[in-house]
Amino acid sequence: MPNVETALKEATTIDGALGAALVDYASGMALGTIGGGKDLDLAVAAAGNTDVVRAKVRTMEMLGIQDEIEDILITLGSQYHLIRLLRARGSQGFFLYLALDKQRANLAMARHQLKKIESELEV
Amino acid sequence: MTSASIPAQVPPPASSASTSVSPLLTRLAEERATGALLRDRGTLFLEDGRIVHAESPATPGLEVLLTVGGGLAPERWREAVDRAGARRQVARFLVDSGSLAGGELEICHLAAIFDAAFFALSPGSGPSRFRRGATHWIGSVRSVPAVAVERETRRRRELLDAVWPYPRLDTSPVVPREAAPGQTVTLRQRSLLRHADGVRTPGQLAWALGRPAFHTMLDVRRLAAAGLVDTPHEPPPTRAPVVLPDWVTRHQPPDVALLRRLRDALEASL
Repeated sequence: MPNVETALKEATTIDGALGAALVDYASGMALGTIGGGKDLDLAVAAAGNTDVVRAKVRTMEMLGIQDEIEDILITLGSQYHLIRLLRARGSQGFFLYLALDKQRANLAMARHQLKKIESELEV
Repeated sequence: MTSASIPAQVPPPASSASTSVSPLLTRLAEERATGALLRDRGTLFLEDGRIVHAESPATPGLEVLLTVGGGLAPERWREAVDRAGARRQVARFLVDSGSLAGGELEICHLAAIFDAAFFALSPGSGPSRFRRGATHWIGSVRSVPAVAVERETRRRRELLDAVWPYPRLDTSPVVPREAAPGQTVTLRQRSLLRHADGVRTPGQLAWALGRPAFHTMLDVRRLAAAGLVDTPHEPPPTRAPVVLPDWVTRHQPPDVALLRRLRDALEASL
């Protein structure tokens, strides 16, 4: 049974993965985390990134775009942060959060793998 | 990067005993106890000291989250309870019968645990009792450490007040206000506002929407902060009657001589 734990473990096998979390964006709580550490507190990252998602949702409403967010990419000097929203009926309002080391990551591959992990959580 | 876990990497502060949300829960977790911790506003189920389920009359349970909020057909839920409730494997039945993806169920169940625990552990939830050995018919889905639940409960209390520090909003009827020209209201907010009829409280809205009650309270606080929901005014403090000095209240005979002199002076000048 693919579950939160296996999904997060799989996320850490993505090249360059530094940490991952499954986050409830209405409350800002991380339902599960893996990796991270003192340089990257995933509980804090989870709470903070809910504001990112909320801001984007609001912006789309302002623009009148009738669409859904699939993922959000934030590029830092040394890291990529990927946010992927879950869309199954029972898990709306949650997202997967993945931090990657920019030097070691293949962005296109990472997006693809994260999409696969999301779909496995929901079927 | 070893095992997936509910974030527990932040060690509890050394003074956790004094700041503990529930000293009894802390002790039961240390004892690795199994059973049900009953409080006025909810019940936590423990297995080997970890929390495996929680429910509270203040918030919709897993059934409502899955059927109203998640689109699971109510008959599928009833079937699972009828056929697997007695052997305490409702969760497993839902997944094995194909009603629900394992991941979906787990996510919803975790959300329900933290939501119910927030109310069960709220201050004023009364005395705690522990029924050793009691288990819940939902069966095993996922367990979370008690310390993670306590930490999240504290974080949620602080978050509510950080957003908009008016606790009366949590229990008062939600009264929508018209959006300012050009103000954006998101889809999620709109569906909440549509159900807000000026009578329902955030808790009642949570049932109608099939969303966790804490989430609804937080949404309402955000809406109030944005001016899209009325913020109930705190009742005005009952003002102590102003005590006037004696010389004002005491009945005194008018100074007739003074009044005459005043009248004479006025008449002379007219």
